[in-house]
Order: sequence, then structure tokens, then C-alpha cells
Amino acid sequence: MYLQRLKLIQFKNYTEQEVEFSERLNCLVGKNGMGKTNLLDAIYYLCMCKSYFSVQDRNAVQYGESFFRVEGDFLKKEKKHRIVAKVIPQKRKIVSLNEKPYKRLSEHIGLLPIVLIAPDDTMLIREGSEERRRFLDQSLSQINPTYLEQLIIYNRVLKQRNAALKQLFAVGSRDKTLVESYNQQLLKPSAYIFETRRTFLEIFNPIFKKYYKEISKGAEQAECVYKSMLWENEMSVLLQENFEKDYYLQRTTKGIHRDDLVFTLNKKPLKRFASQGQMKSYILALKLTQFELLKKEKGVTPILLLDDIFDKLDKYRVEHLLNLLLEKKDGQIFITDTHENRVEQIIQGFNTDYCKFVVVEGKIEL
Amino acid sequence: MEFSSKLLEKTIDVFASLPGIGRKSALRLALHLLKIDTDSVQEFTTAITNMKTHIRSCQRCHNISDNPVCHICEDARRDKSLICVVENIKDVMAIESTAQYKGLYHILGGIISPIEGVGPSDLTIDSLLQRIQEQEVKEIIMAISPTIEGDTTIFYISKKIKNLPIKVSTLARGISFGGELQYADELTLGRSIVTRIPYKSE
Repeated sequence: MYLQRLKLIQFKNYTEQEVEFSERLNCLVGKNGMGKTNLLDAIYYLCMCKSYFSVQDRNAVQYGESFFRVEGDFLKKEKKHRIVAKVIPQKRKIVSLNEKPYKRLSEHIGLLPIVLIAPDDTMLIREGSEERRRFLDQSLSQINPTYLEQLIIYNRVLKQRNAALKQLFAVGSRDKTLVESYNQQLLKPSAYIFETRRTFLEIFNPIFKKYYKEISKGAEQAECVYKSMLWENEMSVLLQENFEKDYYLQRTTKGIHRDDLVFTLNKKPLKRFASQGQMKSYILALKLTQFELLKKEKGVTPILLLDDIFDKLDKYRVEHLLNLLLEKKDGQIFITDTHENRVEQIIQGFNTDYCKFVVVEGKIEL
Repeated sequence: MEFSSKLLEKTIDVFASLPGIGRKSALRLALHLLKIDTDSVQEFTTAITNMKTHIRSCQRCHNISDNPVCHICEDARRDKSLICVVENIKDVMAIESTAQYKGLYHILGGIISPIEGVGPSDLTIDSLLQRIQEQEVKEIIMAISPTIEGDTTIFYISKKIKNLPIKVSTLARGISFGGELQYADELTLGRSIVTRIPYKSE
């Protein structure tokens, strides 16, 4: 599977740009702030219906404009898939496949699997649990459409439950009936999400351990431990027992929306003691595992976006990474770098076809 | 658009404030009213004013009505032991036009959605509970859209009456009549397989 052609209109710093790519390796070079990452984000947008970096669509529109359009021709199993995203932030968002608009955006997720590796990813380790849930959800929603559907339902009900708790608290009422209705509606999605995340980590960890070992060349055992309140208690019990607490805090304190992944090395949490190098190896191994699992589950090689890895990783890790990726003979890869020649020098050693693009102020030159 | 008359412009503004009417349609309507005779226009405005000032909601089911109790609730031929709970008046009209239902209605006036500031007390749920206690009701049918908020509303009402000897049912959800399977959306088709029904030949 690969992206043949991409067209951007008023997307971030691109006014209008059309570009054709190599089905194998594409290098985007240019100084900081020229729009390399924005181009990767546009590709990500076509696959996931949202930006990897900015949560809100209005941040993806070119400054001063009211809408953006991203269009891409993907070739998957010899069939052309033209994806068009037309977005007027806060008003309209239409994503279509071969001219046919989707009724629900969630139906599109997973058609074109994608993995993005960005320097900011160390947030995965350093920041709160939300980042790590996002990582899990990114993988699972591409693999399993039912998971995404249940997650959307869960989040919607949760939002309503929290709003109901606020109203209850505001009027000083203890009538539990409405909150209990929401409890009931949370049971099925939470059980499904817990079970799916649990089994996902069972297949994730063996591959992950292998990658970490390869990348770090160390003897440490890496493992992602799935942490959830649902290991010990049923969701119904958690919600019932914590009604008082939820009432006073005016939000739902227990549930799969508080799940976390504990990243460990030799059974010890990484967050506390890991060196910069160990963290980078860890992130890389996490992402490569995501890549391999998506490939296995979807039956096609995901598009891989590597953002600014040369600045963030040492030469040894980069070469090792490219070795891993290029020894497999398929899959489309996009790499960005600030030095025009560095990336070429490294790639030339691999004897692979590639295209180089120079990005200057929201314009692409061949 | 520039208009030669402020009066015309005002009329257009008023029409364009209605749902589904843009400025071009508003202009067409206004020009049409200008063309027909004054009596017909008078008829128009009287009808609207009368409707607005005299219409009320039925004391029992909250349907729109000219009298304190609507004609459906007054109809002696209707089955008073059956109440169909709907979100709004348009749903009543839709069910009535099927001519398949001979019970009474209860119009909630919305569905529970705290995000939008609609709680149970903003709907006519208390009046429904009262009706159930005063009237001989055997079954209530929840004819509410199959959305998350719709489900919440059904859960809520059924919890409120769980101690009463009343049957609660919901509309069947699944493949539509005359529809082809290949065009059914996956969610509906999946659900229809899971909640399949025994085949009865008639």
C-alpha cells in the first residue's frame, strides 16, 4: 500500500501544493519551520481523519483562511483509493472515499494503516496516562472497528454522566436514577475495551521485547504492563462504590478512561530511572511493534512517517532503524531531515530507490 | 442584495429566520404575498396568530391540541392501557400515519442530555409517572430513537417504574422493509444478526 499523489489546499503553511511520491522511500529535507512535519501530518490526516499533533481542526487551517482540503490517491492491493478531506472547522468535516462521503468518520479508520514516529514521542513516557491511552487507541482503532465504536460510545456516555453529576451536585439532589442509567450504559463498552486492551498487550509484549533487545543491544527485559482498575473489580461495582466520591468531585473517577501502561525495564518502571538513550530505544521499539502488529492484523504494510529522527537519535540507532525497515522489501516510508545531504548519504548505503523533496516555505521542490 | 423597500427587506428577514428557508426563498415568498390580494394575506396572518395564541398542549399526553385534552386522548375507541412514549410531536404524526397503533401517547418534549442542559425534570417524565399511577396502564412502548441519549432516556424511565406491574417494550431495531441487505449499514446488520427473531410462517 502506498500514497501516489497528495494535494493540499490551505493546510497549515501550504497554500496549494500537489506532489507525487515514490512507492518506497521519500525524503523531505528543509530547514526548521518550512513545512516538513506539516506534510507528514497531512498524510496522517487522510488515514486517521485527524491531525497527529494538533487536536483541533482549526489549528490545521492556514492562518487567516476558513477551510482546508487534503486529497490523496492511495494504491492498496492494486486498487485506487482517492481520499478527500474537506474541513471547515467547527462547521463541516467531510471525508470521502472515491467521491463517496463517509456517514461516520470512524468507518474510514483502519482502511489505510499508518504509524508516525516523532521526536515529541518521549511524551509517551514522561507525560500523563492520556498519552499512553492515545497510543493504545491509535493501534487498536486501526485494527478493530468495533473497538473504536465502543470507545466512542463509552466516551459519549461518560461525558453525559459527568454532566449529570454536575447538575445533581448543583441542585443538591441525591437522586441516583439518572447516574445509574449511565452506569448501565457504560458496562458493555468498558468490558469490551478492557478485554481488547488486555489481549492486545498479550500479543504486543513478545514482539516488543524482541525489538527492544535488538535496538538497545542490551540484556534488559522490556515490558508494557497494562494497568486498569478493571483487573480487580467489575465496572458495575466500581461505579456503585464510588458514587459518593463521584458526586462530590462531579466527575467519574473510576473506569477504563483511567487505564495506563506502565513501561518497565527489568520489572522496574522506566519513568524513574531511565537514561535518555534507553527512553529513545523504548519509544522506537514501541512504535516498531505498533507497525508490525498493524501489518500483521491488516494484511498490508502500513505507511511509516519518520519525523526528524536524525536530530533526535544517534547515527547508530538511525542506521539500525533503517536497516530494520529496508531489509523488508515493501512499505512506503517518509523521512524528514533538516540537513539536505545527511539523509542522502545514509540512504545511499542501502541501495534503495528513493525520491528527494526540498521543502521551502510551504512549497515543495524536486 | 439591495432592496428598494425597507418593508420588503423586513419581511424577507422574518421569513429567512424560519428553518430551511434561505434568503432567496424568503424573497420569493415575500414577492408572492405582495402579488396576492390583501384578504388572502390577512387570512395568513390571522391563521398564524390564532395558532400561536390558542393552541395548547394536552394536559394528559402533551400533544398539541385545541382543547385541554387532545382528540387522541378523548377517543373512546383507543386502548387506554397502552402508552407509547415519544420524543416529540413529529413522532406522534409519524406513528399515527402508519395506522397500526391504537393506544395513547405521551410526549416527552425531548430526550435526556445533560451536556445540552436537558435533565429528567425538563421533560414530562413526572407527568408520565403520574398518568401511569392514575390510569390502568398495562404496557408502555418506548418509541425513542436508538441513540445513546435515547437509550439513557429509556433506562431512566424504566428504572422509575420498575416496581410497578407494567410491561416495558421498545421498538424493534433492524433491517428496514424493502431494503437490500448489501446496502444496510454494518452496525444495523450486525445487531440484526445478534437479535434475530424466530421465523413464523403465516
